[in-house]
Amino acid sequence: MRIMKITIKTSPMLKSVILAFIILSGLTGNMERVSASGSPKTGKEISKASNQSSPKETSVKAVANDSKPMPVYGRWKNFTTRDGLPSDKAYAVRINGNQVYVGTHDGLAVYENGKWRTYTTKDGLPHNGIVTIDVSEVTGDVWIGTLGGLSRWSGGKFENFTQLNSGMPNDLVYGVCCAGKDVWVATGGGAGHYDTNLKKWEIFTEKNAPMHEPWTYGLSAGDGKIFIAAWGGGVIEYTTSTKKFRDYRDPDGEMEIDLLPNDGPVHDITTGTSWADGKLWVSSYFGLCNYDGTKWKGYFDHDSGLASNFINFIRAEGRVAFMCTDQGLSSTDGTNWVTYKKNDNNADGKAIVTTNGVKKEIPLSPSISHNFIIGVDADKDFIWVATSSGVSRGELLK
Amino acid sequence: MKRIIWISAFCYFILMGQVPNLNAQEKKTNYGKATDEIFPYDKFAKAYKYHFLTPLEFYGAGREKTAPKDLKEVRIGFLGPLTTSVMVPQGIQMLQGATLAMEEANKKGGYKGLPFKIMAHNDAGLWGAAANEVVKMDDEKVWAFLGSIDDIVSHVALRAALKLEIYMVCTGDPDPTFTETNIPWQCRVISDDRASGYALVNYIHKKKGHKRVAMIRVNGRYGRVGVKEYADAAVRLGYPFVIEERFNDGETDFKSQIERVRKTNPDAILLWGNAKESALVLQQVRAAGLKQPVFGSDRMVSPEFLKIAGPLADGIVTTCQYNPNSTDPKYLAFKANYTKRFNQEPDVFAAHAYDGMSIIIDAIKKVGLNRVLIRDVIAGLKEFQNYPGVTGKIVFDHSWNDVSDIYMAEVRNGKFEFSVAPPMETGQRAVNGKKGTNSYTN
Repeated sequence: MRIMKITIKTSPMLKSVILAFIILSGLTGNMERVSASGSPKTGKEISKASNQSSPKETSVKAVANDSKPMPVYGRWKNFTTRDGLPSDKAYAVRINGNQVYVGTHDGLAVYENGKWRTYTTKDGLPHNGIVTIDVSEVTGDVWIGTLGGLSRWSGGKFENFTQLNSGMPNDLVYGVCCAGKDVWVATGGGAGHYDTNLKKWEIFTEKNAPMHEPWTYGLSAGDGKIFIAAWGGGVIEYTTSTKKFRDYRDPDGEMEIDLLPNDGPVHDITTGTSWADGKLWVSSYFGLCNYDGTKWKGYFDHDSGLASNFINFIRAEGRVAFMCTDQGLSSTDGTNWVTYKKNDNNADGKAIVTTNGVKKEIPLSPSISHNFIIGVDADKDFIWVATSSGVSRGELLK
Repeated sequence: MKRIIWISAFCYFILMGQVPNLNAQEKKTNYGKATDEIFPYDKFAKAYKYHFLTPLEFYGAGREKTAPKDLKEVRIGFLGPLTTSVMVPQGIQMLQGATLAMEEANKKGGYKGLPFKIMAHNDAGLWGAAANEVVKMDDEKVWAFLGSIDDIVSHVALRAALKLEIYMVCTGDPDPTFTETNIPWQCRVISDDRASGYALVNYIHKKKGHKRVAMIRVNGRYGRVGVKEYADAAVRLGYPFVIEERFNDGETDFKSQIERVRKTNPDAILLWGNAKESALVLQQVRAAGLKQPVFGSDRMVSPEFLKIAGPLADGIVTTCQYNPNSTDPKYLAFKANYTKRFNQEPDVFAAHAYDGMSIIIDAIKKVGLNRVLIRDVIAGLKEFQNYPGVTGKIVFDHSWNDVSDIYMAEVRNGKFEFSVAPPMETGQRAVNGKKGTNSYTN
């Protein structure tokens, strides 16, 4: 190869300017590489970069950049209809001691002692499509939101609530959340609050709450509050002691942009909320954000380790939030990221670890069942994931 | 050396001024055909994140599923106002348009010999009710569905469509936020209120040079969301409404609203509501002696408006999502067949429902009976981009919104006449109808 040598005669002042420019270009250049602005990197690009170091599962320590490492899950085991699930399309998963409940399109599946058992309308459920599940810490009852009503599973029986037999706002229940004696549901007809002591429903819509519209699609409880993800209305916060509402909206008020990433919710169309460890996490189809009571912080797939801006569901456990995206499962403590992805052409995959903007890969064999993630739950040692095609269980790598 | 340090420091501060934007996303085009002068915040700051620059893919499973072999018919859902709604006449037109497309397809052999069948569901217009109807469609095993007119119903149905993964083709709801939900299980086959709003802003403020516009609108979601894009664009041009008055559907006496409008002495009046109320407002505006030019929303383009408004309708300018006077042979054939079949002329909802149902049927013929593949082929923005509908060429943007031509509609001699709305002009504004530099006004 022929190398050309170019000599440029310049004045000392111009040299100074060039020198300063080169130094500063290097600085800003690094920042751009980290943020990967514009379209997100493809899987190929990421693999290429990480293949140079070929990290293995033993490189889990790389996740941590402080004294609290991010949990990394591996040794994945996947379940489908061949293993006893009623459907491969799973909407929700909930861990309850030795049992794991999985909501699928064709029934409720319960995993216990290594076996699956299915419950359907024949057993008393109001609909076979199980969308959301929560467990009451007070009573131990399991509350099941379906495509056709809400059900309380208690004492081996299903007690069903629908628009026709109760004060439920709508039969399609997108989210259910237990908070003490109260049960909350998110529906397209408003948020519903059921007092299990009084056996009474209350409905919150745009008429009696600061909702832009009454379409609610997710909710969570924490810090004495209920956080409702309102479609087009950002987040509605309800304080249970005072029974007062307040809302958090995207300050720019526009659908086609996010003007500033850290000024509030990243978008008014929110899909889920989860409160843990003093932080409220909010998901949308446009990115992720959190609120610590003072400041908002936004995250996008082009400036963080988030797998995709399209987030179906979110759950925070301790300081870590798990995001169910359409292109993998992401987890973060707000600084470090671990994203789980399955390969397109085989059952293997990887955990992509992003720390201080630097990405590393941990090969996983096998990986999660599918990259379109719809539900997640984690406890001390395991994580369960509901996907578009199967359910996955991962073990915490120690 | 000191000089180097000073120059380095100078360059550092210059560049650091840009650092907060280093992570920002680069905007490639303006969403919604907005010019720079009406794009949100564009005069003051670049946004950190621009949405809808590229179409979303659906990464979920389901493409491998095969259709049951014992099918007797190919079911396609329909969601529209068929009972218990003020929009029933429009809902029936919509159902008839969809039915005609289906009947014509069945005459040609349906899908591999199986007849197409509409599974019709009523949208009651109540919050949440549409979700239950979409669940019923899932239970009925429809392959895709068409709906609706009411924006509330359409939004609620769309969220259920995403959960159940049934492709939704919207042919009647012009609410811009429908496609702006970023859900990759929908498209809209009708121009939206953003397009209408921008066309009216261009006409009222740029072409006619009006500065002080009074708004009288229906007190519902159609009025609230419908005027938003107009109002935002007008503000960015420097022309906020001088007053915004509201009325309820079914109201007949608008004297108090009109009296408040009179006190603002506006240049022009903009109406946003259904045909009947808009016509009644127009009558009472003129009866009150207000002679300002009146403009309006697309729902004024109806025989009902012309009938109630009578000669007062002359000179009214509004927008329309298609050209009902088109001489395109395809449209004329549709109009003739529709009139023969249903003994009435098609309206905007009938024509767009015909196109929407035709798209679903053509998609099934191309990819077979698989919900995800039906989604893929329509949302892929290739095979159905520039689809030749009876309403004209259908052009989707990256949020699957129909951004094809929108029409200006002006009443002349008791009839609406239509012309393609010109793209928004930029440059110096016309003032009170007088031509300004770089302005196209006459």
